[in-house]
Amino acid sequence: MSDTGLVLKDVYRIFPGDVTAVSDVNLEIANGEYVVFLGPSGCGKTTTLRIIAGHDEPSSGTVTIDGELMNGVSPAKRPITTVFQHYALFPHKSVLNNVAFGLKMQGVDKAERETQAKAAIELVGLTKFMDRKPRELSGGQQQRVALARVLVTRPKAILLDEPLGGLDRLLQMKMRVELRALQRELGITFIHVTHNQEEALSMADRIVVMGDAIVQQVGTPEHLARHPRNEFVASFMGDNNVFHGTVSGSNGGNVIIDTDYGKVEVEGSAASGSTASMAIRAAAVKISTDAAPATNGVRVRLDFAEYLGDSVKLHMDLDGKPFIAKVPEDRYAEVRALEGKDVTATWAAEDGHLLEQ
Amino acid sequence: MSSNDNHHAMDEARAEVASAEALESPEVVKAATVAATTGPRRSPLVTLAWITPGTIWLLLFLIAPLVMILLVSVWNRTPTGFDAFAFSVDSYGRLFQTSVFATTLRDTIFRAILVTLLCVLIGYPIAYYLARCVKAVKFQIALFIVVLAPFWVAYIVRIVAWNPVLGRQGVINYFLVEIVGIVDEPIDALYFSSLAVTIVLIQVYVLFMVTPIFFQLATLDNASIEAARDLGATPAKTFREVVFPLSLPGVLIGCIFVFVLVMGEFTTVRLIGGGTIQSVGTLVYDYYKLPDLPAAAAGATILVAVMTVGVAVLLRFSKIREVV
Repeated sequence: MSDTGLVLKDVYRIFPGDVTAVSDVNLEIANGEYVVFLGPSGCGKTTTLRIIAGHDEPSSGTVTIDGELMNGVSPAKRPITTVFQHYALFPHKSVLNNVAFGLKMQGVDKAERETQAKAAIELVGLTKFMDRKPRELSGGQQQRVALARVLVTRPKAILLDEPLGGLDRLLQMKMRVELRALQRELGITFIHVTHNQEEALSMADRIVVMGDAIVQQVGTPEHLARHPRNEFVASFMGDNNVFHGTVSGSNGGNVIIDTDYGKVEVEGSAASGSTASMAIRAAAVKISTDAAPATNGVRVRLDFAEYLGDSVKLHMDLDGKPFIAKVPEDRYAEVRALEGKDVTATWAAEDGHLLEQ
Repeated sequence: MSSNDNHHAMDEARAEVASAEALESPEVVKAATVAATTGPRRSPLVTLAWITPGTIWLLLFLIAPLVMILLVSVWNRTPTGFDAFAFSVDSYGRLFQTSVFATTLRDTIFRAILVTLLCVLIGYPIAYYLARCVKAVKFQIALFIVVLAPFWVAYIVRIVAWNPVLGRQGVINYFLVEIVGIVDEPIDALYFSSLAVTIVLIQVYVLFMVTPIFFQLATLDNASIEAARDLGATPAKTFREVVFPLSLPGVLIGCIFVFVLVMGEFTTVRLIGGGTIQSVGTLVYDYYKLPDLPAAAAGATILVAVMTVGVAVLLRFSKIREVV
């Protein structure tokens, strides 16, 4: 176990009534890392964050920060602070007093804490609004006050609970860049909770995918996108098509799976006759009007071509099941003309990915 | 990425955010809200229908009586009643002929302030306990109903019930005379006294303090408290810096209720004070029985004016709109 950074060991949280919110979580987060907890609502990610912050205690297991046991330590005494989901700014205090609050609690004298608070407010670009009350600020500004308020106490780690959830999309995109740049500039660990895949992929050094109270997979954005470990991750990360079937044999280093939609071949090995599933990324799927090949190809009806700016997402129908593909943006006119028609979707065996059962 | 590039990226990001936020600045939001509320023009008839009941109510039961009182107070007193066609301010003069009215007014204001402050001191912990220490909503509601219980008991019963406690043969006198033996004779002053009146007023009106504070505390955003704890505040500091300031609107509403109700008190003062204690209310009633209706109306007018000033001071002092 590492002596530095944040370590969660065998953490469980069982709520009264035997509701398991968090189960068997083991994680090591290095100092200065940007980690995103990603998962659908109710997956245990917020509970995990609350356990780290000290607003909740694990039913069993330990939380350590730089080797120091945090179990039973009050949130006030932990070297980490939280940016709450709806910012939780103090409505009766000005921006300056909100930001200076943590220092005031530490007993820093007034002149010194105002100097430091002003510096933090400048860091987030809100100097002009220092004397305003939170309700006189827009959502984005409030969020930056919340950030300044935690930064000023110089925590070892900052926990962000759905920090971009309340912002409109345009502002979300800007804040992603800003948060990431700020984190790099400060070198502080950021632990960020979200249900938004795109947000997680764009910001994280590492993503922790949670589902059904357990950690489903941990990895870099690229690793998760290309190598989802199981079906949960593959479907939750989006942009994956999943096939289920029975292993019918092998071909070199590939395993052949019989599915309801034909044979698929994918790298890996599995016992003949066992059930197996595989995922293929939308971006690896090729669309043509040719006849379907014997393996790794299906006939689908192209329902809708969604123009995304840098690519075109194709929403297709595979016998009533959704099937997706992504093609370069310059093929928009061509695929648009195919809407409503049957096309062939194919992919290379090496692009497919055998999932754990 | 070098640190220089980082700064550059930050600045760029900020500039872009600034432009994005221009779109959702409070002014724009405000303008949008105004547009939304005025949006589809409502028919004037519908507006009229909405404001009519409230207006009629106010006119009949607030404005009309006030105007009547004001008018009667400047009419001339006659042996049988008053003369509606001769105006004078003699009735006000009669009130201040002796020092009784002025002294009573001073005592009434003092008592109202004292009862209000004591209600805050007693009511706040009750409300705090109900709202923040009782976790289950079921128990919260049950206990709140228990707090409300005295209110269901008829007013007169509630007041008379104090006799066995404070009266000549009441519990306290029994305790002092028979058990402790520090006094030889039962103390009458316990019952027909300013102390008794104050105690009973608190018992009757503390409810009006508990209720608004309870609701204010119960709806307090837990995240604010967690944020304070997270930023290093001890429970005591969290209370002083966050919980108490955010509960002030409830305290203020409670203060207005209690102050106004105690200022206008008549029944409790008469029954518990036993004629030895006066309030503006009992004096007005005395003038009414005399009969000196113009003087009674003048006393009532002064009472309303003092209450209005008191409420205005409370509102001004607390800047209620700025707290939340």
